[in-house]
Amino acid sequence: MRWPWLFIGLAAVARALHESEAGIIDWHKSFIGVPNIASISTAPSFHAQQGRPPAEALLITSTASNVLAALHASDGSIAWRYIYEPDDNIVYYKRNQSTIVSLSGPGGATLRIFECSTGHLLAETRLHKPAEGLLQDPSDFGTAVAFAEGEGDAYVLTNNHVVRRVDAAGDVQWTWMSPDQTALVAYSCLIATPSALYVVGLAKSFASYTLHITALSPTLGTPLVDAHIPSSIATGPTDLLIFTSPPSVVWLENGAAHRVQLEPSLKEKPGKLSGREYVSVVDVGLESSFVGVLPDGSASVISLTESGANLWTFPESGSSDRYTDSVFVGAKDGQGRPYIARVFWSNEWGKASAHVYAPHLAGGLVSGFTFPFQTLSHGTIVHAAVHVAYVKETDLLPYVVLTTSTGTIELWQGDRMQWTREEGLSRVRMAEMIELPERLSEGGQKDRAKEGFVERVLRHAVDAQHLPQYLAHFFTRFATGSYESAASPVLPSEPDTLTRDPFGFRKIIVAATDLGTLYALDSRTGTVLWKKLLSDGSNEDSLHPEPTALVLPAKLFVLRTAAEGGPEVVLVAQRKMANGPVDTVVFHVEAVRGRDKVGKLKEGAILKGEEVIQGAAIESFLVDAQSRFVLFLDQFRQVYIYPNTEDSRSDLASLLPSLHVPLRTGTPGSAQITGHTLQPALGFDGRALAQPSWTTSLSPGESILSIVKRPQDPIASPGRVLGNRTTLYKLLSPHLFAVTSSSSSSCSIRVLDGVKGSVMYHAVLPTGRGESFPGREGSCDVKAIFVENWLVYIYWDPEGTGLGEAKGQRIVSVEFYEGQGPDDKIGSEGLSSFVPDALRVSMFERAFVFPHRVSAITTTRTTFGVTSKDLIVANEADQIQSFPRVLLNPRRTHGKPTAEQQEEMLVPYDPLVPDDPRRIVSHRYRIANVHGIVTSPALLESTSLVFAYGLDLFGSRVAPSKTFDVLSESFNKAQLVLTVAGLAVAIIVAKPAVGRKRLRERWYRP
Amino acid sequence: MIYLPFSSTLAMGTLAVNIVGEIKWNEHCGDYSTLGQAKVIIDDGFASGSVLKDGRFSIPDVEPGTYVLSVVAHDHKFDQVRVDVPKELAADPEIRPYTPGTPLNPPSSVLLPYPIKLIPRVANSYYVPPESFNLLAMFQNPMMLMMVAGAVMMFGLPYITKNLDPELMAEIQQNQARMSSLQNSLQSGDLKSGYIYFSSWCACCSLMIPVAWRR
Repeated sequence: MRWPWLFIGLAAVARALHESEAGIIDWHKSFIGVPNIASISTAPSFHAQQGRPPAEALLITSTASNVLAALHASDGSIAWRYIYEPDDNIVYYKRNQSTIVSLSGPGGATLRIFECSTGHLLAETRLHKPAEGLLQDPSDFGTAVAFAEGEGDAYVLTNNHVVRRVDAAGDVQWTWMSPDQTALVAYSCLIATPSALYVVGLAKSFASYTLHITALSPTLGTPLVDAHIPSSIATGPTDLLIFTSPPSVVWLENGAAHRVQLEPSLKEKPGKLSGREYVSVVDVGLESSFVGVLPDGSASVISLTESGANLWTFPESGSSDRYTDSVFVGAKDGQGRPYIARVFWSNEWGKASAHVYAPHLAGGLVSGFTFPFQTLSHGTIVHAAVHVAYVKETDLLPYVVLTTSTGTIELWQGDRMQWTREEGLSRVRMAEMIELPERLSEGGQKDRAKEGFVERVLRHAVDAQHLPQYLAHFFTRFATGSYESAASPVLPSEPDTLTRDPFGFRKIIVAATDLGTLYALDSRTGTVLWKKLLSDGSNEDSLHPEPTALVLPAKLFVLRTAAEGGPEVVLVAQRKMANGPVDTVVFHVEAVRGRDKVGKLKEGAILKGEEVIQGAAIESFLVDAQSRFVLFLDQFRQVYIYPNTEDSRSDLASLLPSLHVPLRTGTPGSAQITGHTLQPALGFDGRALAQPSWTTSLSPGESILSIVKRPQDPIASPGRVLGNRTTLYKLLSPHLFAVTSSSSSSCSIRVLDGVKGSVMYHAVLPTGRGESFPGREGSCDVKAIFVENWLVYIYWDPEGTGLGEAKGQRIVSVEFYEGQGPDDKIGSEGLSSFVPDALRVSMFERAFVFPHRVSAITTTRTTFGVTSKDLIVANEADQIQSFPRVLLNPRRTHGKPTAEQQEEMLVPYDPLVPDDPRRIVSHRYRIANVHGIVTSPALLESTSLVFAYGLDLFGSRVAPSKTFDVLSESFNKAQLVLTVAGLAVAIIVAKPAVGRKRLRERWYRP
Repeated sequence: MIYLPFSSTLAMGTLAVNIVGEIKWNEHCGDYSTLGQAKVIIDDGFASGSVLKDGRFSIPDVEPGTYVLSVVAHDHKFDQVRVDVPKELAADPEIRPYTPGTPLNPPSSVLLPYPIKLIPRVANSYYVPPESFNLLAMFQNPMMLMMVAGAVMMFGLPYITKNLDPELMAEIQQNQARMSSLQNSLQSGDLKSGYIYFSSWCACCSLMIPVAWRR
């Protein structure tokens, strides 16, 4: 039993990475996600240690990817990040000098305390069960944190009626629950003072809300006094602001700002703050100032004092065509003095502008500057954070951090951009790897065909000037032996041009995000080659593209490859208008430079979309015939194509009878899969129409989770030759696909034939929690992949209660073969599904214990499909791991393999798939929350490129059967040359001696 | 009748316990910054607790049942344990060792202390050292062994022949004569006879090795 493990161990050693290769053949990019700017309690803010240089400041933010993170203000690198569970979304964070307190989950269920500078988690306390949390809109409503003075304690308001005092270790000191549990009063803010803790909320009355304040004892949590403040707040919590110095509450009532000062007896009378009328009030996160927007759109800064308020209005801030609406933000410097900034886009100048108001400097100083924000590539400014680092008497030079609508974070100081982060890349929804053209084709092979004799001679003459360089390069290469090997970094011959490298390791990754952007990345480094905004139909010619509709990517296809004259991609997207209607749009891009094919090859930053269907597309796929085109089906199952050219139309007409399209049909609760054939000219306007041909109903209550299609990759061998020289022929019918589904009691996976609907394979799996946990059932986390004749799926098996059972992750490997056994060939690849033989199928199936939960699964892909296919998964420990096919072979033997089985290289069955750290492709990199892995063949048959996307991005290459087609890294050319030279010298030296000996033999022959 | 559902949910609520424990720092993993963000999960992760800076963790509100508890850490491996949360109030969960791939039932008879103590077993080693030039490995190569044997024969043969019987000596000399004729025939192109002589020479050499051995 020992030897197979030795074999596997050796195989693993041979495949694993050398430390020197890390970072050379692979790359990773860590992200924090797009800042969550919905509320001031989750948006970016600067944290500066007192007495430290401003460059050491941290930018702290929570993000839409559910990450709490700190960035270095100096260079934008990640100081630390903490990734929350998906169901534990961050609703609130607050920091003091040394710690950050966060609330997450419904109603603020979980409290965490972090060290500000390192991000170390100091405490984690569950305040209430997530199921008991009240879901709020906005999500931070009803949660608040205030720090107790002097001590490390914090007051926490959760679920809009519970207040706790929590110490630095996360232990609850006291709890106060609102006696009014009928939810008439919903508390939303806390104001901590040494004498009392004020809990501020709104009580619902007939037409509006009334302010309600409860004062609690800070040490004991006992209520001191409870008061309704006479008020009438129409819209709710957005018109309510709190301030700590002096402690007071400000609200908007009938267009007027009212204020009440807080003192422990709560006897202070509310009063009007100023005679002005406001449309809205904006909380800028300061202790005593806020921004009020006047009816003409201009913004007033209102600074509270003990007796009243100081007012100051930003000049030229009224509504105008010349600039956009402003973003307001507050900041404090090292001495705690407040600053208020206004950031906006000026249509007049084509630049962004920031005005910072310092009330204490020179009797109210405004320092303004404009900066060249690239609105065409980064969208609009949606949030700003300001850090006033260098204060002079007459000038402020603040750091301004912008968050844009495409997820970019930029730090500007004056008109210089210090750094930028493309956080939009944490929102990649789909990606494709596209081969680059060869270097020659870039120059234009087409021109060469028309070239005359003279031009040709001239071209050769011009090219000849490179000859000395070439010769020098040739000889140095020959002498030093520095050949390119599979493990060496891919360096382009000319850094400016995007061309293919000798082994095809360099590709373009085109990735679409759900923020309406399309990126192209270099697959060897991950650098962004170009970034384009997807037009929403109204803003493509605008100089300041404000999004009016949501563009969500649906599918990405490679329409033309490099060999066919320049790679082109087509992105199919759903365009959702704000008022409801959904359209299907197509963006067509030349992949190398990002030139727009719809918008007549414009170099602009905004891609123009072509509307294909006025409505949603229920299915779209690429048809690869004489010409390549994308086929769409609308809700009425009519056929549309893109590009709609003469070639593609005639191709479609000839292909129609052979196209079979399975679609999800049925109603919720009784899902069906219906196969369709396409009939010409039955639809409106002479369009082809999909007509149902078969229906397979799932069990009642089941819903479809995913449809797993087989990639149309080349298949090198149609069968598997066994040790006894018989052959198992692979089932390769082109129309097979897998369907995973879930119901409340079970999950299941089926393999169906897309032509006839026959169920080739059906397995029922237990749900995630099993039936022993009422209320928690019904989570089906089945991940499946189907390539060639190999189906693999991973699920959680909860049935561990019976004797001999064990719960754990399971991986099931199924191989489908033709006929009843070896040498029973039916020719499935070209066989009609309607022939009875098509159902004569056998399969091998084996389940294993898998070491991890996985979030994405795929297999390697190579050019010709000769190399064995490794399974590549992203696991819960933020790793990308590969598993060799040999371990997942369902024909692994029980007991010692026989000689025949040894010949097939079968290893004995072991229930556990080993968790080998040397097969972790991402090694020491943490690749978090991966939800997709794309693999793509390199030119080398042995090698497959891997790209994983999620919160982080990762790119590498793997060689499942080792790099058999290139010289190994350990190949020593110098040694070979020396050996050959040594032998040559030996021959020269020995030749006279041998000659003499032979002569002597002739003379003295007996 | 009306109160029944309410009381049962209340009972479920009170029975749920927090599973608490601690990571014991050791030579494989010395502190929180080496470990990085890590969490302790039960079963497939439907409930989890983060590892704090001091190594402690707490999984809140776990209902009675049998679970597999494991640590999800990027760079370190930990043992899994079986946790039985009892139905009785105020009873501590029972902790037992568990090896993945083995049945969960019957439970192991070994009972581990509670709160749980988890020990980092190994820090993942992702890399293999590059193959360096190794003299011993080079001489373990069969080709090299043959070459070494050949060299030994070349130098050792004169000493062996010196101590041989005169009869055997004569035979060898005869062979050598055949050898030279083989070379001649090779040069003259008479390959067939050359081949025969060559094979007989090989046979002779193989004969001589045991002879030399005996001596």
